[in-house]
Amino acid sequence: MRRAALLLIALLPGLAAAGGDLNPPNPFLEVPGAKLRSALPLAGDEAVPVQPFQLQRHPVTNAEFLAFVTAHPRWRRGAVPAALAGEDYLSQWAGPLDPGAHAPAAQPVTRVSWFAAEAYCDAEHARLPDWYEWELAAAASPTVRDARADPAWRQQILDWYAHPGGKGLAAVEGDSASVYGLHDLHGLVWEWVRDFNSLLPPGADPEKFCGATALNARQKEDYAVLMRIALLSSLRAADTGRLLGFRCARDGGGAS
Amino acid sequence: MSALGRLRGAAFALLAAASVALAAGLPGESIYQLEAQLTTQHGLHAGLDLERGHPTLIAMFYGSCPAACPMLIDAMQAYEGDLDPAARARLRVLLVSFDAARDTPAQLERLARLHRADPARWTFASAGERDTRRIAALLGVSYRKLPDGDYEHSLLITLLDGEGRILASTTRLVGDADFAAKLSAATRPGTQ
Repeated sequence: MRRAALLLIALLPGLAAAGGDLNPPNPFLEVPGAKLRSALPLAGDEAVPVQPFQLQRHPVTNAEFLAFVTAHPRWRRGAVPAALAGEDYLSQWAGPLDPGAHAPAAQPVTRVSWFAAEAYCDAEHARLPDWYEWELAAAASPTVRDARADPAWRQQILDWYAHPGGKGLAAVEGDSASVYGLHDLHGLVWEWVRDFNSLLPPGADPEKFCGATALNARQKEDYAVLMRIALLSSLRAADTGRLLGFRCARDGGGAS
Repeated sequence: MSALGRLRGAAFALLAAASVALAAGLPGESIYQLEAQLTTQHGLHAGLDLERGHPTLIAMFYGSCPAACPMLIDAMQAYEGDLDPAARARLRVLLVSFDAARDTPAQLERLARLHRADPARWTFASAGERDTRRIAALLGVSYRKLPDGDYEHSLLITLLDGEGRILASTTRLVGDADFAAKLSAATRPGTQ
């Protein structure tokens, strides 16, 4: 039934662009594989090979997550066990099945734990993106695949990091799509990745990592990425965050 | 609401009731709340809660691990070796591999024999890729598969009570007196 509703929305482009009321479709878009110059290189400074993959166009919204918890009672607020989601899980919603006025349909869902996000993606026959996939997708601007050397683009991102969520959340797809057609990889919410707890060397301290590596960062844009890595590394899987959402990924269909 | 809608509603209600019944009495913070499927060294399927009812040491490893994992297993044997026999008899040990592809039941059995693990109390198991990731997330174990097939991973031994609640954990392979004390307390008679 949800698919039919989404199809209906897709046929009415004007409505899809409306503020927080209606939920735009969230298809999986192809991202070609590439060798990624990552802030987390594997051995030495080698580029990391990333296989082609698919990523959802925008972060999962309140409307999309509502459909999930409706169909999967175990993940409703009040039913989910503490081991899998902390006590702030969906606390911004008016009720377990009611996002309410403070969680408009087309805004990204937040205060979801890694386990809940992971379960959502599994129910969509998908998974969370890996860090390298996220980093590759997030390097793109509306015009180029790797915009990280562009000072204006970098500054835009750093501006958000200076005041994340300062004006409160907004509806998804309010920014310009990147060359991959993806929205909101910057400037809206932080996002879970599948390997969030395996980004730093085992036993590494995120604060020491951030401090030491930021001082050594070759380019300024690495600072924004390092902050994101440090944030993700400091989380535990049952944690939730006011500005922490997610989107899903799938293995690629062979496009290159 | 249509008949189909009513049927779906009833089905959801049944599912909700069933999942509550399955988890009957299990504390919310128990790691056994995670429904994962393990394959043991005997080729049997089991849930993460296979040792429910017993205090349990749990850790993650992989069979081809050159040095760290044998040390991890030795450390677990040392911690349990410090218990009196009656206490040790109450303890269970669960080792979950990162590497289901190479750590087949036959390989896990070989490892169990190699370490002379007590077959009545030690289980070596593997899980599918997704469940392995979720178990590691639950325990707070970090791991990364390297291009050559080896794993870079943290070392962590976790102590669970009989209901799967985390009582203590240690990254120290030897000499964690606090951990040893908690292990001793957890295996006293009547504490499961």
